Amino acid sequence: MSPSCDVLPVTLVTGFLGSGKSTLLADALHGDAAKDTAVLINEFGEVGLDHLLVGEVDARTVLLDNGCVCCSIRGELKEALATLFSQRARGDLPPFSRVILETTGLATPAPIVATLLADPVIRSHYALNATVTVVDALNAAQQRARHPEWLAQVSVADRLLISKSDLVDPTDIAVLAHTLEALNPAAEVVVLASAADKVDMLFAPTSSTDMMRRLGSGQRALGRGASFPGFDSAASADRATESNGAGDEGRYRAWSGDPASLAHRRAMPSLAVHDRPAPQDIVSFCMQIDEPIDWQVFTIWFTMLLNRHGDKILRVKGLLSIAGCAQPAVLHAVQHLVHPVLHLDAWPDAQRRSRLVFITEGLARESVEASYAWFRQRLEEPDH
Amino acid sequence: MCGMCGLLGGGNHWSNTIPPGTGANTRRQRLIHVALANRVLASFRLKLDDFHGQSFVLSSPTGTSELVGDFAQVWRVAEQMLGRPLDPLTLFDADESTPPSSPLSDDRVEVTTVHRFTDEQSAS
Repeated sequence: MSPSCDVLPVTLVTGFLGSGKSTLLADALHGDAAKDTAVLINEFGEVGLDHLLVGEVDARTVLLDNGCVCCSIRGELKEALATLFSQRARGDLPPFSRVILETTGLATPAPIVATLLADPVIRSHYALNATVTVVDALNAAQQRARHPEWLAQVSVADRLLISKSDLVDPTDIAVLAHTLEALNPAAEVVVLASAADKVDMLFAPTSSTDMMRRLGSGQRALGRGASFPGFDSAASADRATESNGAGDEGRYRAWSGDPASLAHRRAMPSLAVHDRPAPQDIVSFCMQIDEPIDWQVFTIWFTMLLNRHGDKILRVKGLLSIAGCAQPAVLHAVQHLVHPVLHLDAWPDAQRRSRLVFITEGLARESVEASYAWFRQRLEEPDH
Repeated sequence: MCGMCGLLGGGNHWSNTIPPGTGANTRRQRLIHVALANRVLASFRLKLDDFHGQSFVLSSPTGTSELVGDFAQVWRVAEQMLGRPLDPLTLFDADESTPPSSPLSDDRVEVTTVHRFTDEQSAS
C-alpha cells in the first residue's frame, strides 16, 4: 500500500495533569521503540513544555499549543493530523507507521475521539488503536472528587496505567486498582512500575478476548454473592494482591471474589471523597442478552438512546451476537460517538451471547434493559 | 456522498454496517430500518422515508420535511419537529402494565456496581 493510502493506528494517551503521561512517553519511546512513531502533544497554556520533556521524539512532534483539545482546538487537531499525514506522504517526514496523541491533562477525551471518528479526512487516514489513561496513584482521590475530567478519562480507557505507585502504600494501590476495575470493567488495569514492557502498554491493540475474560471473571465472582455488604478495603487489597500473580506482570486481571469490593457503597479510606460539588452516581454494569439480537432493532434503539442520553453514557463496550451472523461484532461507544463496528473472526470464548458494558452517569441499569426489552418486543413483532 | 448526484449522506454511519453472513444488502437493510423507525415515529405522526439510499426525509403532518443523513440525526430532528424529547427509556411507559418478556440474562442483577458520592459516605 502506498504511504498516501495507509490507515495509521493512533494511540490516545490521556490522564489528569501531572499524572505522568509525558514521563511514560519519555520512558517508553527510546531507541527502536520510538522508531516509526510520530507524537502529537497537546499543551494547555501559553508555553508548551511537554514537548521539551519528550526530548528524544520531538523531531517528529507537532505541538498543539492553543489550549484544551476538547473545546478550542479540535480544528487544530484535525489540521495537525492532516498535516502530519501530508508530510509523510510527500516524504518530508520519515514514513512513520503509528501515531501517539498525548492530550492535555484537562482534556475530556470524547471530542478527540470525535475528531478521529467523525472527520471524513481524518478517519480515512487514521484509526483509533487504543486509549491509554495514566492514573496518578498519589492524587487519584482528590482528582476524582474535584475534576470531572478524571472520570471521563478513566471511563474512556482501554488500558488504565497506575503511575507513582512507589509513592503510595501497596494496599492503597490495590484498592485503587479495584476501584478502577469497578469504574471501567472493560479496561485492563496495570501498575506501570511493574509493567514488563511499557511500549506494549502504548501500542498493543485492545483485545476482545482479554475484555471478555475480564467480564467473565467479574460475573463469576459476583455470582457467588447476591448482596453488597460493607466494603473492606484491607481484605480486598489482600485479595487483589493475591490475584496479581507472577504470571500477570502486575496486571489486575481478576476480580475480587467478594462482590463487596465492586460495590463501593462506602467510601474507601484512601479514596474518600469529601468535597465533590454535586452527588452523582456512576454506574457500571454488564447488559447480557442471551438470544441473538436483531441488528436493525438494536441500531434503532441504540441510536435513540445515544441521542437522548449520550451525555450520560460515558462508555459502552462489548460484543454483540447478531442473528444470522456467526461472527461477533465489537461495539464501542463514547458518549454520542460510536466507533466503526468491527466483526471478529471468531468468538473469544464459549459464551456466544451479547455482552455490553455500560458506564453511565445517572442512568439506571434497569431502565436501560427494560427499554431494550420494550423496543425488541414492539419492533420485532409481526406487522399488522 | 453519492458519486452520481452529489447527495450528502450518512453512508459511513455505524448503523449502516452490514453484518457478514446475514445475506442482507445495503438497500434492503435500509428499507427495513426505515420501516422499523416508522413503527416508533407513527405514534407521533411523523414519517421517515429513504432518500436515494443516501439520506432520509423526515416529515411531519403539518408539511414540514427535512433531509437527514443518518439515524443519529433522525431522532434529533424528530425532537425538534415535536418540540419535546423522544426518550427511549420512557417511550413505552403507557404499556408498563404488561412488561415484555426480557431477552436478558438472568444473572444480570449482581453485575451492577454503583459508585455513589454522598455526604454520608464522605463522613464515613
